[in-house]
Amino acid sequence: MSDVVLQQYLAVGAILFVIGLIGFMTRRNLIVLFLSTEVMFQGVAINFVAFSRYYAGLDGQVFVIFLLVIAAAEASLALGLIVLLFRRRLTLDVDAWRELKG
Amino acid sequence: MHDLFAVKYSWLIPLLPLIGAVISGFLGARWLKERSHWPIWITVGGSAVLSLMLLVGMMGQVPHGRGLEGVSVTRHIYTWIEAGSFSAEVGFFLDPLTAVMLCVVTGVGFLITMFSKGYMVGEEGYFRFFAYLGLFIFAMTVLVMADNFVLLYLGWEGVGLCSYLLIGYYYERPSAREAAKKAFLVNRIGDFGFSLGIMLIFVAFGTVSYFGRGPNTNTGVLEMAITTNVTPFQVSALGWIPFLLMLGAFGKSAQFPLYVWLPDAMEGPTPVSALIHAATMVTAGVYMIVRCGTLFIPNGLALLTIAAVGTFTAIFAAVIALRQFDLKKVLAYSTISQLGFMFAGAGLFAPVPAIFHLVTHAFFKALLFLSSGVVMHAMMGELDMRKMSGLKRVLPWTNRFMLIGCLALAGLPFLSGFLSKDEIIANVYFHSKLLGMVLLVTAFLTAYYSFRLYFRVFQGPLMVPAAPAHEEHGGGHHHHEPATMMMLLAVLALGAVFAGYLNWPDWPGHHQSLGEFLSNSPSILLSHELAGLTYGHNNLIAGAFGAEEIDKERLPSLARLHTNMMVASGLIALMGIYVAYLLHLKYRERGEELARRFPRISRVVEAKFWVDEVYQGGIVEPLRRLGRVCTGTDNQVVDGIIWAVGFVPQIIGFSLKVTTQRGSLQGYALLMLLAIAAILVIVFL
Repeated sequence: MSDVVLQQYLAVGAILFVIGLIGFMTRRNLIVLFLSTEVMFQGVAINFVAFSRYYAGLDGQVFVIFLLVIAAAEASLALGLIVLLFRRRLTLDVDAWRELKG
Repeated sequence: MHDLFAVKYSWLIPLLPLIGAVISGFLGARWLKERSHWPIWITVGGSAVLSLMLLVGMMGQVPHGRGLEGVSVTRHIYTWIEAGSFSAEVGFFLDPLTAVMLCVVTGVGFLITMFSKGYMVGEEGYFRFFAYLGLFIFAMTVLVMADNFVLLYLGWEGVGLCSYLLIGYYYERPSAREAAKKAFLVNRIGDFGFSLGIMLIFVAFGTVSYFGRGPNTNTGVLEMAITTNVTPFQVSALGWIPFLLMLGAFGKSAQFPLYVWLPDAMEGPTPVSALIHAATMVTAGVYMIVRCGTLFIPNGLALLTIAAVGTFTAIFAAVIALRQFDLKKVLAYSTISQLGFMFAGAGLFAPVPAIFHLVTHAFFKALLFLSSGVVMHAMMGELDMRKMSGLKRVLPWTNRFMLIGCLALAGLPFLSGFLSKDEIIANVYFHSKLLGMVLLVTAFLTAYYSFRLYFRVFQGPLMVPAAPAHEEHGGGHHHHEPATMMMLLAVLALGAVFAGYLNWPDWPGHHQSLGEFLSNSPSILLSHELAGLTYGHNNLIAGAFGAEEIDKERLPSLARLHTNMMVASGLIALMGIYVAYLLHLKYRERGEELARRFPRISRVVEAKFWVDEVYQGGIVEPLRRLGRVCTGTDNQVVDGIIWAVGFVPQIIGFSLKVTTQRGSLQGYALLMLLAIAAILVIVFL
């Protein structure tokens, strides 16, 4: 894998991350916000894999496996929470929970 | 000497009452209750027996032991404090002076604890009273047995603590609480000087022991102070030490200007007034000055101060006693006055008469206080002399004991008080005509006020206060004179009559028994030697140190002085009694009329010369104001600054909370993003 190819991979990761970030900033639906964070995760994961391949090591790959496992666990937890929140307010709008401020 | 039983087991003398106090104190409330006096009776009795054995054993040693070192034993129990070159032992110094003091403390103490059972029965906190008494005897015996200043100070503060606890025994009464606090605080002033004196002693001499390993080894302060090779620093220290120690003695022994606590201390139960505030604790100052004679004698100014303060206190307190109406207050001022006599003697080269008067005074003043306690019980706690009269019909035995006590106090010829007081006056007169004359006037006042008390309360038409004034004794005892109490009073009365013969005056051919015994105390022996070297033997009366006159040609003139003084003070006592008889028995109305004719004088005396008021206005109030200013500064300025400093983060936190934490999730994300961007910009650019 040449330098050019590495940069292309990194660009894809960065684009994914920014798409997720913008999605997180602009959307109001809790599930979509959660999806956006997952997209950011994948952007980071691509970075790991790309560098792992570039340096011909397995460290990055291991990290990605951990990352996926945690993301999966966290997804089940987060979706459960979202269901509970929805039951309380019957809406998924993020601003419905503003009074949780510290 | 070392193998005497009482010397070998001398450590039991303080230890036994302590054990008794612990037993009564910890087991009294639950189990012993009305039997709480038993541990104290047994242990104080044991100490009294041991003390008596010590005295008798020491008497047996006297003829053999006569020499420059006197008769003494130093017993070290263990090293108490050790820090660098400083060390304080728990050690006992046993000499004739200690033995005499121990017999007074434990003997009178034992009689009074016996008396207290009948007096205190049914009181709230009965066990507490006896536990404190035991603790007091412990502290007092440590005080007189100590072989160094630090242990002396332990006992000194211990008796002060017990005095505080016992004055405040009826702590539900505000006046008792105030009196206890006052006694403690006034003593603190004296003890502050005393502790400075002890520190100076250590700094100057490098030890706090009286005689170190023993007399003639030159290892203790009392001997090092009189050796010829003292350094200039030690000389200047010796200029200060007597005055600092004296301050402690003035506080503890209630001398002017620190006497104000003693009259108020009468708030305590009467046996306490008898034991602590008449017979034993208040004499600690006299004991200390006699014990440390070698520190005082080189300093003529210090001696003169002691004698002058003592004489002034004697006449001052006697004048106040003239117009007091509370039975116990009269006795309290009388105690202050008699302590003044002792100080005058101790200051003017008469340690033996001072100790002699201490012994006789312990007997007759304890008798007077306990008798007035019987009166107080019978009168339901009333003590106002104006409300009672002719009590001899109600209390026939108490009448007799009170009469004996008053006669001894007034100095009726050949009773104990006469002999001891006369010796002090003769010695003081020998050294200073002025002070001697003042003491003679005081003797007249003493006779007058003691018989004013007696004639008003016990003679004349019968008058009994109508209603109980205080509730504390309102139990309704109608057996006024229990036999056991009367028997104990009888023992004290015997002492009041015959204690004077312990020290029969030193007319040529006679020898003084008590004086000769005491002269074997290294303290008194060295004091005499030092006083002779400093002031010349011809300017001293050897008898006042219990020694024999060297210059036989002086004997007739000294005998004449003593005889004249005896005749004078005897006549003066009779005159005082007669005046009291006229004004308070025969023509009672005329006595009051006389007081009314000089309203200003009687008002000044009745107000006790406004000393308490002057202290209140001149010392207590300014201090209280200063305290208020300090608390104000602390609360407003110091706390204000700290509060302001604490307010800054609160303000910042609050403003950040209001501006940034608005609850919008995406707002937080944006802020985080911006912050990370800012950090990256700062780090990489």
